[in-house]
Amino acid sequence: MADVLSVGVNLEAFAQAIGAIQALRSSVSRVFDCLKDGMQNKETLEGREKAFIAHFQDHLHSVNRDLNELERLSNLVGKPSENHPLHNSGLLSLDPVQDKTPLYSQLLQAYKWSNKLQYHAGLASGLLNQQSLKRSANQMGVSAKRRPKAQPTTLVLPPQYVDDVISRIDRMFPEMSIHLSRPNGTSAMLLVTLGKVLKVIVVMRSLFIDRTIVKGYNENVYTEDGKLDIWSKSNYQVFQKVTDHATTALLHYQLPQMPDVVVRSFMTWLRSYIKLFQAPCQRCGKFLQDGLPPTWRDFRTLEAFHDTCRQ
Amino acid sequence: MGVTCVSQMPVAEGKSVQQTVELLTRKLELLGAEKQGTFCVDCETYHTAASTMGSQGQAGKLMYVMHNSEYPLSCFALFENGPCLIADANFDVLMVKLKGFFQNAKANKIETRGTRYQYCDFLVKVGTVTMGPSARGISVEVEYGPCVVASDCWNLLLEFLQSFLGSHNPGAPAVFGNRHDGVYGPADTMAQYMELFNKIRKQQQVVD
Repeated sequence: MADVLSVGVNLEAFAQAIGAIQALRSSVSRVFDCLKDGMQNKETLEGREKAFIAHFQDHLHSVNRDLNELERLSNLVGKPSENHPLHNSGLLSLDPVQDKTPLYSQLLQAYKWSNKLQYHAGLASGLLNQQSLKRSANQMGVSAKRRPKAQPTTLVLPPQYVDDVISRIDRMFPEMSIHLSRPNGTSAMLLVTLGKVLKVIVVMRSLFIDRTIVKGYNENVYTEDGKLDIWSKSNYQVFQKVTDHATTALLHYQLPQMPDVVVRSFMTWLRSYIKLFQAPCQRCGKFLQDGLPPTWRDFRTLEAFHDTCRQ
Repeated sequence: MGVTCVSQMPVAEGKSVQQTVELLTRKLELLGAEKQGTFCVDCETYHTAASTMGSQGQAGKLMYVMHNSEYPLSCFALFENGPCLIADANFDVLMVKLKGFFQNAKANKIETRGTRYQYCDFLVKVGTVTMGPSARGISVEVEYGPCVVASDCWNLLLEFLQSFLGSHNPGAPAVFGNRHDGVYGPADTMAQYMELFNKIRKQQQVVD
């Protein structure tokens, strides 16, 4: 009710104000008419000037009066749009033909949406800033083009050295067997078989691990023409999840100066999956959560957690 | 294939077999399992023919010939506690030719049919065991695809089973103990079904 009343009052003031504007316009045009007509025919020059000035003054006074009146009225009208959160666009809500032009409701939705977007973008950028990927952070802002130049030694290692490092790691873990092959030039591909639990395909560039795919022990890791299948993912959700975690581990274990340590730490971490189906979650104590066993292994303690149970 | 556990679900008190099966499937659906068609496992019993028994001086051994809709091209032949032979599906025709040695005990044919459910990496099959025209019991099969060693994932399987079987607590199947570190195979599943069917047959005899 209050809204309707205030609108009514405003409307009355509006009508008066419009009248006042019309009066002001006509008095202003009278001033210009007077100026245009110039001095009227009078007998003496002095009489002509006096009459003209008197007229001109009269007209200016009436302009002044009309202007004051308009100012008074404009205060009465107030600024109804100011306390509306959407300012002038809030007046769209007064539009009586809602059905034909639903501008106002659309506007409100767009406003809400953009507000939410801004809020979420703020949160996301905060989180992302906290967890910058260490791989790029370690290179201290070197651009991708210049990266090979910055670390020539680690990318151009002799294949013999890579073989040595891998075979040493192979001997280190008895329950893990590593098969190295070089189907495409110098880059090595590893097929790691961990107990009777899983198989991992590791694609390397020199001693850097580029990509890993984790599959089940009973899944096929070769394509039809007998090559390692580095593109298709596992059919089982649990190994898809472990693949995701292994990719995270690649980004975590980074030490550009000592690539062999990185490979060894990664393999040590990977070995903890030997108890993928046997270890309960260290936080909730259960085996299953949403049908999946604890797929996450802590990078330092190697303890098992569900994806949602880790910090 | 992964590790599979087959167990018998007792019929709920005051309920029929059909009602208990419905209760189970409703629980599975609530859990988020998706229906994926049907399944069927059947088992026929063969007696060693009297003529051959006499000459070899052996006690009559029973042989079971089984089919599983999960392996539509295969046929499984099992002796109790004995070896399991996995053959092509036309093994059945061969058995007809061997009538002189093995005789089909037609009245003993037993089978379980029901719905197949997928939940994450688990495959659940709830079936009604029928012998002749009437329902005799309920079979619950849970397969965990990613794992191949039975002893590795028994605790995990048990936790999953308990999530929808309620108070009923199935023990570890005997085949899990047989091969401690071996890779689990389809024959192990069939052996479990054979045991389940034998158990249900014996229960039937007691009731009769």
